[in-house]
Amino acid sequence: MKALAIGFLTALFLLIGPTAMACRVCRPRVQAAIHTPEYSANLLTLLLPVGALLLLAAGVFYAPLIKARFLSSTSHG
Amino acid sequence: MAEQLHRGPLISAGLLIGAGLGGFVDGIVLHQILQWHNMLSAKMPPDNLVAAKVNMYWDGMFHAAVWVMTAIGLTVLWRVGHRRDVPWSGRTFFGALLLGWGLFNVIEGIIDHNLLGLHHVYEYTDNKLPWDLAFLALGVLQLVAGWAFVRAGRSDTAVRGEYSRGNTQ
Repeated sequence: MKALAIGFLTALFLLIGPTAMACRVCRPRVQAAIHTPEYSANLLTLLLPVGALLLLAAGVFYAPLIKARFLSSTSHG
Repeated sequence: MAEQLHRGPLISAGLLIGAGLGGFVDGIVLHQILQWHNMLSAKMPPDNLVAAKVNMYWDGMFHAAVWVMTAIGLTVLWRVGHRRDVPWSGRTFFGALLLGWGLFNVIEGIIDHNLLGLHHVYEYTDNKLPWDLAFLALGVLQLVAGWAFVRAGRSDTAVRGEYSRGNTQ
């Protein structure tokens, strides 16, 4: 088990290390094309559908609480 | 007095897992196997190695996001399984999975394909709209089918413990 863990960690280290770069020549160009001033905008637009779905699922999960709070606030208001 | 039943938590878990798995189907089948599009393929067509690898990066971010959504869904499902007020209905859960997948297709289709134009379902044609509309239509069909299953599950009232005991008798 210990040998397996050491082997796994070594493989992981090799993968994330510089030797794992698939293309040493194009890598800087790829990195430059990813980390542009548009990076945050790209990330936000990419995550927008996932965020909308998470909000929707949270709304369904907490629907009784939301409904109760809404009903109590309207009855008191 | 009998405890009030709540179906929302199981539907919520199904929505998240269904949407996550739907995202994986999109990424694995349409991005990687068929290679019809990538995450930013309308903005940066993958017609050279650098552009292809940049798209690969954003595909990876997309996969990471849907992985998180699936993991949250599994966590919710695990917690729901312990609740005595949530009916453990296969029809409700399957319907919620379909609803989640359909919602993913409709929301992702409207936002990414139609509004933002990040990519289209099939990039290698001049007329991309029919493919995008077909994707939306598939999503709507999944929503209708999912809703029908969730409605059918309204008559299921056994919670998880009762369901297990019923199976062992």
